[in-house]
Amino acid sequence: MSAQTENILEVRNLKKTFTMKSGHKVEAVKGISFSVRRGEIFGFLGPNGAGKSTTISMLTTQLAANDGEILIDGIDARRDPVAARAKIGVVAQHNNMDRSLTARENLLFHAKYFGMDEAAAEKKADEYLEKFGLAEWQNDYVSSFSGGMAQRLKIARAMMHTPSILFLDEPTTGLDPNYREILWEQMLELNKQGTTIFLTTHYMEEPERFCENIAIVNHGELKALGTSSQLKALIPSKNILTLKLDSLNEDDARAAAALKDVQQAKIQNGTLQLYLNTKQPDFDGIIRWTEDRHKTLQNISLSTSTLDDVFLYLTGSAMNAPEK
Amino acid sequence: MNNPISSAFWAMVHRDLLAQWRDKGEFIFRVVMLPLILIITYGYVLPEIGLVPREFPTHMFAGMIGMSILITGIHGTAIPFTMDFNNMHEIEDRLQAPVPANLVAYAKMLVGIIEAFIGGLLVLPFSAFFMGSRVELALQGDRIVYLVPVLILIAIASATLGLLVGTIVKPMQIAAMFPGFLMPMVFSGAIFFTWKSLTAVPFFQKIILINPLVYANEALRFALTPQIDSMPIACSAGGLIISSLIMGYFGFKRFHYMCVNR
Repeated sequence: MSAQTENILEVRNLKKTFTMKSGHKVEAVKGISFSVRRGEIFGFLGPNGAGKSTTISMLTTQLAANDGEILIDGIDARRDPVAARAKIGVVAQHNNMDRSLTARENLLFHAKYFGMDEAAAEKKADEYLEKFGLAEWQNDYVSSFSGGMAQRLKIARAMMHTPSILFLDEPTTGLDPNYREILWEQMLELNKQGTTIFLTTHYMEEPERFCENIAIVNHGELKALGTSSQLKALIPSKNILTLKLDSLNEDDARAAAALKDVQQAKIQNGTLQLYLNTKQPDFDGIIRWTEDRHKTLQNISLSTSTLDDVFLYLTGSAMNAPEK
Repeated sequence: MNNPISSAFWAMVHRDLLAQWRDKGEFIFRVVMLPLILIITYGYVLPEIGLVPREFPTHMFAGMIGMSILITGIHGTAIPFTMDFNNMHEIEDRLQAPVPANLVAYAKMLVGIIEAFIGGLLVLPFSAFFMGSRVELALQGDRIVYLVPVLILIAIASATLGLLVGTIVKPMQIAAMFPGFLMPMVFSGAIFFTWKSLTAVPFFQKIILINPLVYANEALRFALTPQIDSMPIACSAGGLIISSLIMGYFGFKRFHYMCVNR
């Protein structure tokens, strides 16, 4: 048996291009490379249309890549998808539970597809139904489940065969905050027991709280990769003053960059972002500056940098901005 | 020790049969309605009022069985694939199993074949009730031996056609399948006429050779009602084998495409 590698997942120069009906080619993933360490929670972030789901589909053998290499626990997933699938658990964004089966049957059939023997499958089903708070509803059809229950069952099912890495594609999307917390408690518990978690999300606070390493993708490219603090260090300052003016142009940004305590000024997502080297900006001076430039100040806010700001700084658009 | 491939395969078959069993009312309704209405109209009412000869039910008996098997098998394979790949996504869990993806298709096709046989069996009591003594089965030892292999070939053809249709048709096109695919298949499928009787309309006789139901019904006619002139068994069986191979080839190609383009 081969020795365990430090990285459970290695992705090199992964590419995917879709050809539309019109013949137009769309490069959804443009040669991204990264690796995920064994046992970590890895965040894969990007707005809608960034290439997150395309990437996760390729990593989980659901979509053929055009080029690149995917090593899952040392197995080349493009050459040997069957062996790679034994190592992964997948929680899809959409509901793909078997609605004609009960919750328990969903778990047991999954176990059989993965070659588990019946006794082990029954034991594990008991354990996960209990752990995910579904024991009471184990004999109910999944079609009657709420979104939160179905989501928990999806994770339980993906864990049945004890995968080395669990891919979660926006697992908390559409869930209320209460359910999101419950789900996170359960995911952290799984991670504590040794499961590597690969997470895509567009809720920025989740990777900030839970992920050791975070990759930011946009337009199919890897924009940055690192820990939350490493990513935050990419932006000029922790203190950000955001001005919403009635009109904005590059001249305004250049002029704002010359203001006192302003390290850098950028127009991002229709607002003027001032990266400050102080926690207490000269608000009066800034308001006077807008008046001098004959601008109407519609909104002003001071914040400490978050991953959202990192994303805004790197890509020029907000994480949850509507797709163009 | 468990063979993971066979264990996964039988689990997939079990899952499909269980799901179908839970929906048995819909299954019986779907399988029985079309043959029932055709049997009542062509096998009972029309001979009774003298619009078709009284021996007409004997002509169409093999066709009823063939149609029921083929249509049920196509439906049993095609609709789940269409819905799974495009709407329900329930198949994804099976496609994530560490077994070759083809296994998922084989399991679904086997269930389609089982359903096809059940479809054929369900038609028998209705045929007996409405056509009864009008059907003259002339079972002969040298012909009846062909029955089981012919039934198997028809069921396989139905499952391969189901695989092809199920991986091509989108859920919103299902409504168009009935008038655009199933009805032309049924009415050109040598149910109400024998293939040899079409010598008077040679273009039609040739064009319907693309319809696998023609081979199915002619092969059944050969085995069950030898007194009616049918296509030589080598041709009808050969037609079923060739159409299964062609449909299977393109069906699996489409299936692979769907598997890695989810």
